[in-house]
Amino acid sequence: MQDAQAMRAKQAADAGLLRRFSLETLQVGGLALAIVVFAIVVQLNFPVFLSLPNINVMFVNFLPEAIIALGMTIVIITAGIDLSVAGIYPFSAIVVGLLMLAGAPIPVAILLTLAAGAVVGAVNAFISNKFRVHPFIATLAILLILRGVNIIITGGSPVSGFPEGFAIFGQAGIDMGGFTLRYSVFIWLGLALLTGYLLRHHRFWRLSYFIGGNRRSARMSGINVERYLVFVYMLSGTLAAVAGIIVASQFNAANNSYGQNLELRVITAVVIGGADLNGGAGSILGSMLGVLFIAMIYNAFAMSGISTYWQDVVVGAMLLASILLGEALKRRRA
Amino acid sequence: MPPALEVKEINKSFGSHRVLHEVSFAVEAGEVHALVGENGAGKSTLMNIVGGIHNRDAGELLLKGQAIDPADVWQARQLGISVVFQELSLTPNMTVAQNIFVRREPTKALGMIDWQRLNADARALFEQIGVDISPTELVGNYSVGIQQIIEIAKAISFEAEVIIMDEPTSALSESEVDRLFGIIADLKAQGVAIVFISHKLGEVFRIADRISVLRDGEMVGATKPAESSPDEIIRLMVGRSFDDLYPPKGVVGDEVILEVRELSHPPLFHDISFSLRKGEILGIAGLVGAGRTEVARAIFGADSYSSGSIALAGERLDIKSPREAIEKGIVYLTEDRKVMGLFLSMTMRENIVSAALGRFVGALGILQHKEIAAESGRAMQRNDIRPRDDLLSVNSLSGGNQQKSLLAKCLSANPKALLADEPTRGVDVGAKVKIHQALRDLANHGVGVIVISSELPEVLGLSDRVIVFREGRISAILAGDNISQAEVMRHAVQ
Amino acid sequence: MIKLPGLPDKSKALLNDRSVILALLILVISIALSLLTPAFLSSRNLTFVVTGMTYDLLMALGMTVVLLLWGIDLSVGSVLGLTAVVTTMLLQDGAAIPLAIGLGLGVSALCGAINGFFVAYLKIAPFIVTLGMMSVARGIATVLTSGYFVSGLPDAYKAIGQGRLFNVPYMVYIALVAVVILALLLRNWRPLREAFYIGTNPEAARLTGIRVAMITMGGYVFCSLMAGSAAIFMTSRLSMGFFQFGLGAELKAIAAAVIGGASLRGGTGSVIGTTLAVFLLALINNGFVLLRGSPNAQNVIMGGILVVAIMIDAYRRRDRDED
Repeated sequence: MQDAQAMRAKQAADAGLLRRFSLETLQVGGLALAIVVFAIVVQLNFPVFLSLPNINVMFVNFLPEAIIALGMTIVIITAGIDLSVAGIYPFSAIVVGLLMLAGAPIPVAILLTLAAGAVVGAVNAFISNKFRVHPFIATLAILLILRGVNIIITGGSPVSGFPEGFAIFGQAGIDMGGFTLRYSVFIWLGLALLTGYLLRHHRFWRLSYFIGGNRRSARMSGINVERYLVFVYMLSGTLAAVAGIIVASQFNAANNSYGQNLELRVITAVVIGGADLNGGAGSILGSMLGVLFIAMIYNAFAMSGISTYWQDVVVGAMLLASILLGEALKRRRA
Repeated sequence: MPPALEVKEINKSFGSHRVLHEVSFAVEAGEVHALVGENGAGKSTLMNIVGGIHNRDAGELLLKGQAIDPADVWQARQLGISVVFQELSLTPNMTVAQNIFVRREPTKALGMIDWQRLNADARALFEQIGVDISPTELVGNYSVGIQQIIEIAKAISFEAEVIIMDEPTSALSESEVDRLFGIIADLKAQGVAIVFISHKLGEVFRIADRISVLRDGEMVGATKPAESSPDEIIRLMVGRSFDDLYPPKGVVGDEVILEVRELSHPPLFHDISFSLRKGEILGIAGLVGAGRTEVARAIFGADSYSSGSIALAGERLDIKSPREAIEKGIVYLTEDRKVMGLFLSMTMRENIVSAALGRFVGALGILQHKEIAAESGRAMQRNDIRPRDDLLSVNSLSGGNQQKSLLAKCLSANPKALLADEPTRGVDVGAKVKIHQALRDLANHGVGVIVISSELPEVLGLSDRVIVFREGRISAILAGDNISQAEVMRHAVQ
Repeated sequence: MIKLPGLPDKSKALLNDRSVILALLILVISIALSLLTPAFLSSRNLTFVVTGMTYDLLMALGMTVVLLLWGIDLSVGSVLGLTAVVTTMLLQDGAAIPLAIGLGLGVSALCGAINGFFVAYLKIAPFIVTLGMMSVARGIATVLTSGYFVSGLPDAYKAIGQGRLFNVPYMVYIALVAVVILALLLRNWRPLREAFYIGTNPEAARLTGIRVAMITMGGYVFCSLMAGSAAIFMTSRLSMGFFQFGLGAELKAIAAAVIGGASLRGGTGSVIGTTLAVFLLALINNGFVLLRGSPNAQNVIMGGILVVAIMIDAYRRRDRDED
């Protein structure tokens, strides 16, 4: 066994060029390159593509995915998965709306909604820890429950008519002449920079890589893995709630149908961005590039008008291609 | 001054299996104390107790005369006892420095890691022990040997007063061993107490100040290298009474069943050649990691080999998968019944017939349950598996009965050659005798049997001939009067 | 095992069986519904319930086999959509019915074969592979139809889903036959028996001489074929094809299979359990409709039942772990 490892390590030493860069650098770099090439090709055919207003549209359309991908990245780094975000997202849009309609001041409504997202995340982790089931099943159960709850508390019809001040989170912005740069973009940017920085540099946050990379050794290092996972899923739930609040503000309405298949789009983006579903690898930068790439594909196809419906095919093919590429790299190196 | 670490009258059993009995042991500051013993003598269990992995049933741990009771590895380390395990505790996807200082990283304000200091600390640590390892490289990019050294550096970084190394050289190259011994000499000079667990006697005699020998869970002797010799240590290690519980040896025919020629798969094994005759039990002895299992798995098609040839009853084979091997009549009884052998949550019946389902299919692949039940019942009877209810899940059986089920599974495939890897690991004496008898019966019925075992008495008591492996090569093939414990051990360790 | 002091051993074992628990639940809910509303026991309503659950049942059966193999298939909903679109477009273009069905099922089998190849031979996590296939298959279905309905199907084709025998649609009988055959095969057919070994311990299965890769691949093809069959029934019953057919069906199928006793850790799964779970969920849904509750509350119930199933499973495992 150890001899086999020795042999693999020797092959790794022989792999030369590939070894000079970390797997993460290669994957994120490759993705960045793909984005640039794709952007150039589209730009040559549709000169509006890289115009500021269109870039703004891309951002706004995929803001929820981008915010939720922040939490999903950390969840996947710890070798977990969180399907429930697609339930928390509409749920929190509805909750914040109902609270405001019930007369709660905007800050109170928002804080309560964020707390609700965190609680759902804690429940996910509790079920998964306590009953020792894979987070896939635990969060699937919660997703299904929330989807039903969303319909029940709204009666199936949209919630709307929020106070004017609420518009600041998803609608209002800086007039750039020709388009509005929404404040929500800054919320995302701030969160992304913060989580990205913490995940890279903070002692506690970095433990997620240890937990995902070698759970046994994490336990041996005295890390309370179960409690850590509670934190991670609470974070994921809270971020999904942030996205829900923004979308409620953006449309000035909350609908239970928000977020169909959102969980799968987010997971796809995170995996394209280099995260490993087996845990231990992933980065905020990679995930954000993953979301950007998907946003560009959707935008480009929407613009082209010829083949509007190819976007899903391309996204799926991208996912498979990036996985195959990652596996090939891993095998060459290991 | 009290010894740095003292272990007093430790007892430990796993279930009904007694692993340690009244074991006492001490290591002084600035001393390298080697702990030797055969595979399964209890060395690792003892160190797991000291390191906080296992609980002891009775006895005391004293650190500089103070009673301690570490709850886990982390606590033991904070107390000053660092165990370097055989199994690495590193995470390959993170850098060397991060691995060493996980949870203890130097931080700036708000818990932000101070990378410069972190890497500088790691660099200083490596300078201190005199190795050239980059703190910023991913651990996974280093060989297992270097990883072992990183693991040791991590142990040292806790400012440990006692460092316990469990087979630290098993994955190291010659030059890495030299480097490790240099590190050990430095630590010794700094007054660190070192427990060095190994069964490579050459190394032990090179580095140790004192040698303690553990046999069957009991401390059987402590001596100084200058006052002893490898032969004496070997005698202490194997000095078990040679019981006559083994079945009488059989009559080995001339017909060769399995012929292995120059089988190689560097760096795991080289130029392995031997033949297995009809009716013979061929023992394979050697230390863990000597390449015995690897050769058996290669013959079975579970792993590949680079060169050489294998022939069964004169027919040259080109086996690429276990399925083909089983079809040809070569069956492998795996050393790890829980991970690679049995289907624990399934019934005994399902396990017993699993390798032989092909014999019980009718038209369109429909299984004939009646015949399966009959076969399973016969196998239960023949191998004396208890309780005699083959619809119970294997989970619910004792270790001995699980092992008998594994043997029954292999036998139901009607092997011409059986490769039994540690066929009696972790089973009680009663089950052991039954399994030995079953293997001998099999040989008497004309099957060629290979027994790989780390228990010398078993290899000796059971085998008609013994092959000794050392570091991936055959170091001796012993027959007749040449088979003795000391002789086998000599070829295995020197 | 659930501890029930005072009961003889046999009934303890009986209560421990997932299928029995589900059957009891079904009984209780049926009685409650028939007391609450007379409409429940009408033959019209019962036919409606069993017809509606056919698609879910077929997909959940396929999923049971994949879960049994320690896999997962997120693409079944999309494969349903793609098969629906391909088959109906071929029919619209005048292809013979057997040809259209054959090609439609061929497409679904191909999707499954691709999934299986990636999982079994390239050893890539099934979650990712089928997630990719989910996008690709749905995307192709969208591209082919540009988002429009496909209609104008021949009457003979519609008869598959709409034809009745004793006032019950053919497809219900077909689904029942599928349940019986699969239950028998799962007990008696060598490759499916070997699937239990593979799901329990893939490495041990390989060392036991079982064709792990081939059977795993077969499992994914089967699962996709079940989704394809559901597509044939759905399109013929609704007289049209639509690229959004089967949206979200994968999670429903997984939930039903897990409620029915399958585990994400492989090695377990029961045709009867899955069938009862699908039936239970259909009944609950029907109850909400009849009692004029929100029909979509079934999601809550499904999630709730899933949580309960998880808890029961953990309870059982705890005993096992203690051994």
